[in-house]
Amino acid sequence: MSKNVRPGSLFVLLLMCLDLHTLVESAPICAHGHTGCHSPTLSDLFDRVIQHSARMHGLSSDLHSDFEQYFLPSRNQIGRINRKCHTAYILTPNGKENAQRLAREELTEVILKLLAAWRDPLSQFHRSMARHEDFTSISGNKALEMSDMVHQLKNGVEKVAEKMQLLGMISNSLMSLSSTEALAPHSASSEARSMSDYELLYCFRRDSNKVQNYLKILKCRIVAEHGC
Amino acid sequence: MMSRDSGASLILSLLISAVLDSDGLSPPGKPRLTSCRSPEKETFTCWWEPGSDGGLPTNYSLFYRKENSDTVYECPDYHTAGRNSCFFSKNDTSIWVNYNITVVATNALGSNFSDPVDVDVVYIVQPHTPENLTVVLEDEDNPFLVVRWEPPRMADTRSGWITLIYQLRVKLEKEEEWEEHFAGQQKQFNIFSLHSGEVYMVQVRCKPDHGFWSEWSATTYVKVPDYISRERSIWILIAVFSTFIFFVFIWTMHINRNSVKHFLLPPVPGPKIKGFDTQLLKSGKSEAVFSALVIQGYPPTSYYDDLLVEYLEVYDNKEQVLMLDRKDLQESLFKSKSSSDTDSGRGSCDSHTLLMEKCVEPKEDQTMMPQVKDSEASRDLVMKNDSNTPESTNVKTKTWPTICSSYHYDQNPCYHSIPEMPRQCHISSNHFASTHQQDYWESPADIYHKKPPSGYRYAQAYSEFNIKGIALKEATFPASKSLEYVEVQHVNQENTLILKPIGQEGPDLFHAACTGHDYSRVNRVVSDNVFLLQRDTSGQCHSDCQEREAPVRSCTQQQPGKPADHLQVPRVQETHLAPNGYVDTATMLSY
Repeated sequence: MSKNVRPGSLFVLLLMCLDLHTLVESAPICAHGHTGCHSPTLSDLFDRVIQHSARMHGLSSDLHSDFEQYFLPSRNQIGRINRKCHTAYILTPNGKENAQRLAREELTEVILKLLAAWRDPLSQFHRSMARHEDFTSISGNKALEMSDMVHQLKNGVEKVAEKMQLLGMISNSLMSLSSTEALAPHSASSEARSMSDYELLYCFRRDSNKVQNYLKILKCRIVAEHGC
Repeated sequence: MMSRDSGASLILSLLISAVLDSDGLSPPGKPRLTSCRSPEKETFTCWWEPGSDGGLPTNYSLFYRKENSDTVYECPDYHTAGRNSCFFSKNDTSIWVNYNITVVATNALGSNFSDPVDVDVVYIVQPHTPENLTVVLEDEDNPFLVVRWEPPRMADTRSGWITLIYQLRVKLEKEEEWEEHFAGQQKQFNIFSLHSGEVYMVQVRCKPDHGFWSEWSATTYVKVPDYISRERSIWILIAVFSTFIFFVFIWTMHINRNSVKHFLLPPVPGPKIKGFDTQLLKSGKSEAVFSALVIQGYPPTSYYDDLLVEYLEVYDNKEQVLMLDRKDLQESLFKSKSSSDTDSGRGSCDSHTLLMEKCVEPKEDQTMMPQVKDSEASRDLVMKNDSNTPESTNVKTKTWPTICSSYHYDQNPCYHSIPEMPRQCHISSNHFASTHQQDYWESPADIYHKKPPSGYRYAQAYSEFNIKGIALKEATFPASKSLEYVEVQHVNQENTLILKPIGQEGPDLFHAACTGHDYSRVNRVVSDNVFLLQRDTSGQCHSDCQEREAPVRSCTQQQPGKPADHLQVPRVQETHLAPNGYVDTATMLSY
């Protein structure tokens, strides 16, 4: 009898330990509804994400102007690219009404798609930037920071989306979409590789502006406090 | 046929153009797109600058192409935005899309294309000025301005489509420079530290997060009423308080001005002489002042005076002079020290060594003898003496020991050292006498030919103090005797006084006469230039009745009588001696 109990009890103990471990890992520190716990509000999350996107857009603008200044592309190339951006396949609203007409989920999805589409090209861009001899170390740092920021911003927006879903502001269908859609099509990635550095910068500057704008619209639509 | 037609048309056009050129007509110049702006990121407007029109009515048209599309569109609206402009409405505007815009100028002769411009609406946003700028004065006691405004009407900030940041500037109406403040995204701003009674001007403008600054809004004027700022009132309070404290301080200082004066300017200590009354001196009664200083029973002075008096009574009216002389002598004796002595303090006889030095001192004086007018003989003698200085000094000291011997009781004011001095002097003199007696003997004349101590300088003026080396009673000079006194032997014809040293055996000079020293006491002064010497008939002493000059009577005229009679000098204590145990007959004889 005792012999049977001992291994059984040990096994139960092991299971319990495992469960506790997983529980500790998976459960958030501040569970929803706990009092005295300072979990960030949606408004705070939005603010952080918007600040992040503003920073990202600033970096891309700086790099673009640096590139124009140092590399002096031919006059007809300034302000214009010959090819489409690789993110052209993503349907993005081109106006205020269009953006407002989109549902929150769709808007969030667009943001996430955009951010996902730029993760690989930016890391590639950073590597190719390092090869350029004329570029200063500051620009190199900016490129590296930019590529990190895209990744962090995407995580942030995902957190926001989670929060929104938790609060019931958006439907749960988004999560599944983001997981599959996050995987950018191969064609887009290959297309990005063929683009020049200047074209990449041009496209990314625009897309970061889009992200920032969409986030602001989203925030003002969801967190409608004192006139946004 | 076709070629003929084309050729004909070509020739025709050339002719026409030639004709037109001659008139100054030409195709239009190249237009130029100056700027494109969007006030709210929903519409935008482009303006161009026309070139020369070539003298013909020229038509301008704007064409654009959207990004990655070859479709050419023409400007939808040429009028809304004014002349030479193209207005793109909402429907025609796409954000984040690159527009390629070209302006074409066309006239009868031709057309001209401008350079294409790429425009993305996102980056050309320049909003209108903020609206509804209100400035309100609040808090009358310590007023400040509250500035409020609204975003431009068209800019949609509520939906988050545009984010505007604001800036305002303030200045006094009379000033030139504006003071700019950054307000961020808020639509309200407070301005503090206002000047009372002044008029302020306020303006505000805005900018999208990526775009251009708007124009400054219309100025709003505001008048600040007169008030006393809290800061100024505090300063006034502090000023009043400190003034009060200052006055209290001044008053306190005034009350205690004497002690303050003493503190700041300590009085210089003046000489403090006991019994000296400066007020009395100022009043002019010097007699009273000096009499106050005299302390009764102050021995040195009195002793000296007594002694002087003792001696001086013997003489006639010359005693005053002599008194002076004596006093001068005393002074000179002291001064002799000081002439070669830089330390004036040593005149106070503080140390017992002083007299030692004084004993030594005379040699220096006697070396100075040549400086004073002197008889030749003595000078020669001095020189001779100088040759063997050590001995001469010793010799000289022998003449001087009068200071020591006589002073050892009275002449020095330092009582405390009295007992010591005679011993020392005695020792010194004895020492000198014993060791250098031979020197003395060898040049007895030197002594007499020497100039007398400086105290006797004046005496020299009167008569030539020429002591010749007359026969001295060498036998009368015992070896052990110190030669402190010089006795007048006799006066020769030239009115010179012949002196001989007297052996002195210490205190008892008066009655030491009988120890074998020859000296004469002056009996009395008979008449001018005549004095009587008294023969000492007491004991074993017998003075030598030597022949004297006419003016001098010797013992023949000795009058019987008590020595006390003759002398008429109050016999003071035997221990008290005159500075010199003999009479300064030289001065006497001069009269």
